[in-house]
Amino acid sequence: MMLFAFIESSRSALISIYAHGLRSFLTTLGIVIGVASVIAVVSVTQGMSAYIGDTFAALGSNSLTIESRTSTEDRMKGIRNRLTPDDLELIELRGEGIASITPILAANRSSQVKYGTQTVFSQILGTTYAFQDVAQFYTASGRFLAQSDNQTRRRIAVIGDKTRENLDLPENPVNEYIEIGGEWFKIVGLLETKGEIMGFNQDDLVLVPYATMRSLQGNQAQTDIQIQLSLTEGADVNDVSQQLTTLLRSAHDLSANEEDDFIIQTSEQLMETFDQIIGTVTVVVGGIVGISLLVGGIGIMNIMLVSVTERTREIGICKAIGAKRHHILLQFLIEALLLSLIGGLVGLALGFGLGTLIASSIPGFPPAAIPWWAIALALGFSGFVGILFGILPAAKAANLDPIDALRYE
Amino acid sequence: MALIQLDNITKHYEMGSQIVKALDGITIAVEPNEYVAFVGSSGSGKSTMLNILGCLDKPTSGTYLLNQKNVEGMDQNELSEIRNQEIGFIFQSFNLLPRANALGNVMQPLIYRGIKLSERRRLAAEALQRVGLESRMDHLPNQLSGGQRQRVAIARALVTHPSILLADEPTGNLDSKTSVEIMDLFDQLHQEGQTLIVVTHEHEIAAHCERVVEMRDGKVATDQFQEKMTA
Repeated sequence: MMLFAFIESSRSALISIYAHGLRSFLTTLGIVIGVASVIAVVSVTQGMSAYIGDTFAALGSNSLTIESRTSTEDRMKGIRNRLTPDDLELIELRGEGIASITPILAANRSSQVKYGTQTVFSQILGTTYAFQDVAQFYTASGRFLAQSDNQTRRRIAVIGDKTRENLDLPENPVNEYIEIGGEWFKIVGLLETKGEIMGFNQDDLVLVPYATMRSLQGNQAQTDIQIQLSLTEGADVNDVSQQLTTLLRSAHDLSANEEDDFIIQTSEQLMETFDQIIGTVTVVVGGIVGISLLVGGIGIMNIMLVSVTERTREIGICKAIGAKRHHILLQFLIEALLLSLIGGLVGLALGFGLGTLIASSIPGFPPAAIPWWAIALALGFSGFVGILFGILPAAKAANLDPIDALRYE
Repeated sequence: MALIQLDNITKHYEMGSQIVKALDGITIAVEPNEYVAFVGSSGSGKSTMLNILGCLDKPTSGTYLLNQKNVEGMDQNELSEIRNQEIGFIFQSFNLLPRANALGNVMQPLIYRGIKLSERRRLAAEALQRVGLESRMDHLPNQLSGGQRQRVAIARALVTHPSILLADEPTGNLDSKTSVEIMDLFDQLHQEGQTLIVVTHEHEIAAHCERVVEMRDGKVATDQFQEKMTA
């Protein structure tokens, strides 16, 4: 019986919505805009988040990076903290739970690379064979750096695909020679492409043996290296970084009240930071959008109240020929619900279109992704708004006195 | 057994500090298949009478038995149900739903009975055929003439097979020729066994009825059977 009333009410609600086409459209506009903005924002941020997740997974999720850190205050005093090859040795010797470890020494003077008539700037890093494990870089052709390369300080290089392209090197650049810092390096390998993270190209780099890089820079005491390491299976990231902190602090003779002069980062931490930023953006925008949905709901209530007044006589007729309270109540409630659900659906389509448009109009931006929970939330919320703001007009209609309603002009 | 049994019905309205006695001790009975006219000038209480008879309003005091059901103490929903089952309304201004076509209007009361769509369609089409509008089923009210609209309203009243057909100035908005057609239709329904009550101030209309009840100041002034005038 209730189902029957529900179907009949839906039928007459649909007829009424259709009969007042323009008004129905204007009524739902608030909901349409609200839902469209939620979906647009969510689809863009979710696309970004999924993409960042993938990227960091490729980066090696159980790896740690140790860098020197100088506080701004110290920097103004001219102090530069450093991580030295001694620190590397110490960690290699006494660190626990470490699977592979590699130093990374960035070119400190010129990072020019030449091939033929081409001269480009690239990221030149001195590192070891272990970098492959730690940073998950693999070669597409040729080979990676070997341990012996380091021991014999060979002048060889493994390059990224972007660098190869910039230098106009052939598809397979192995056995070509490039010039770095006035020395000739033989290319032994080409890295697989990794793509970009947030507009930063990961394929524009040149890897040379760590020892070669050191000799290239001269044996200066100023060396500041970065250390990357990967953990053994089952080792806890927090335990390891705790132990390394203690180790480095004592090696650097830091007293208890001094800050760390280095920083240990996990790729997970980086990812969490990104996730937090995205989460905050989503919540803030969600809040704003929630308000717009509320305003949309009030718009629906407004129009429904007008509609009840306008149809007072009709309500009187229906009551005279036998409509009970719940017939009238359901009809107006379902009309409000349908209006906002239709608004929600239109908004969903519009929002997804908008998100896709935004994502595709910014170069290098990940494609928009729309999660199921966002669809459910958008429709659920607009339905809720419809019912919430439909109750008052519907109750007003249902409580009309048939005689007064029939007399209404 | 009387179809309608009113016993000492009163209806009072408060107008500021004054109490207006719209109905003042009405006792009257209507038998099945009677054809009754309630006449009187405006303010005589005939509209209130119609509201009470049609279960749109409840009397201040007195008992009203409609088809042996006591209307007293019924709530709005129960009154809706009894209107739907026992009464077919015909109004002066037709009161059709403007956005529904003729068929839709006639089907409307059947919705409240919980009859499914295909059955509603069949019954409504039958009722429209009975009033001679089978060719106008998909017309909207504003595409129909006054007489046709009132026929749709009559079909809507008939479709539920009510005990009483209750007409409030049924020809008030119609020209004289159409009025005659509508009253002929009423006569025909009466011959088929329908109970009819017509509230009117026009004597030509009342002349169609077998019994004329004249109201004055909320009371029954005269109540007499008459020789039916045939057109």
